[in-house]
Amino acid sequence: MPASKDIKGIIRHVAEIIIEELKLEDVTVDTFSPELDLIDELGIDSMDLATIALVLQDEYKIVIDEDDYPQLKTVRLIAEYIEGKLSTES
Amino acid sequence: MITISTLLDKEWHERYKRIANLNIRSSIYDVTNRCNLRCQGCFFFSSGEHEVASEEMDIKKWENFIDREKARGVNLAILIGGEPTLCLDRVEAFYQRLPTYCATNGLIKVDRARFPGMMVGISLWGGGEDEKILRGRDTFAISSANYAGDPYTYYLYTITPKQLGNIDAIIRKIADVGLKVHLQLLSNDEGVDGFSWKEGELADLRHEMDEVLDKYPQTVISSKYYHEIITSGQMLGRKFGWRECPSVTEALDTRSPQPKRLIHFARWASDLKTVHRCCTSATRDCSTCKDGAAHMSWIMVNKRAHIRTTRDLQNWIEVYEMFAKLYRLIPW
Repeated sequence: MPASKDIKGIIRHVAEIIIEELKLEDVTVDTFSPELDLIDELGIDSMDLATIALVLQDEYKIVIDEDDYPQLKTVRLIAEYIEGKLSTES
Repeated sequence: MITISTLLDKEWHERYKRIANLNIRSSIYDVTNRCNLRCQGCFFFSSGEHEVASEEMDIKKWENFIDREKARGVNLAILIGGEPTLCLDRVEAFYQRLPTYCATNGLIKVDRARFPGMMVGISLWGGGEDEKILRGRDTFAISSANYAGDPYTYYLYTITPKQLGNIDAIIRKIADVGLKVHLQLLSNDEGVDGFSWKEGELADLRHEMDEVLDKYPQTVISSKYYHEIITSGQMLGRKFGWRECPSVTEALDTRSPQPKRLIHFARWASDLKTVHRCCTSATRDCSTCKDGAAHMSWIMVNKRAHIRTTRDLQNWIEVYEMFAKLYRLIPW
């Protein structure tokens, strides 16, 4: 599990994963806005989201239900979702 | 950072947002192994798919199966066959549970009192002479009489090489009966003499498809980018084939690396247990497959690859809109 479990650390790690999984070349963790709409602006689709979710599940040892995908619209919302899961599952 | 906003103006961004959240999960179902035609070039019969499984005859088992499919996340049922209208009780079981599209040869009229909003796609294989050669009869006279003016029906026109130069006349006939049409290409699985595409013909065909789209924008549901991809078999420098096809049944998809694909897609045989490899014939050479739905899906699942220039992304949007119109997910 990643070392930092505070919201800022989770945001950075989620951004890292998205950049790596989607092979984004024109953005860094520092320039990736946590508020950027991943569907309406970055154009990720449900298969991208499924790929990212698999990595996040593995990294944070949580379960991400496919029904929850629609609410995972930004890096911040994903991070808050993970934070919530970690608090209820610990 | 390239985002949707940096590539699209407000109008195109609105069009993008209208389709970006549709989240379609389709699967294909063989409703029956029987048909009231035997068309040369129909992959279902030419590859023996009508014999791989015995039809489930118990309607309750169909209903339970469809409920399980719905629970699996399917939100669009695409019914093929055989001829689905030979088993309207099964079609009804789908229609009562899921948004449903029914492919048919149009010889049997679907009762609109029973299926008011169900999408119907009528297969058409060209003009009267081609239909007689390939299908044994000219179906248009019957299907057009059955469905003239129907707002939930369109023709699925499979263009053959023999129709080069004559597509306009067929589109006009369809327009004249108040129906719409989507275009696809014959793959000639049975090698009928004179019906295989020759070098150069596909480039001519693309031009002709573009012309009818420009001339009949209210009738033809299509896009020029789709014409380019299906006639060339190439997209963004990549070649269509087994390694790229998105329409492979998920449970049978062992490809590595895994390409972009339709999530949870399956094509079920009519025993409700057997799955077919893909949306078309497993005996077909994927490198020359001309399946329209597979090519359309190939574009749609590769959205991020199109987020590189304004034109690329607009092309992607137009193809997705075409798909959404074919199932009336957005208005015609």
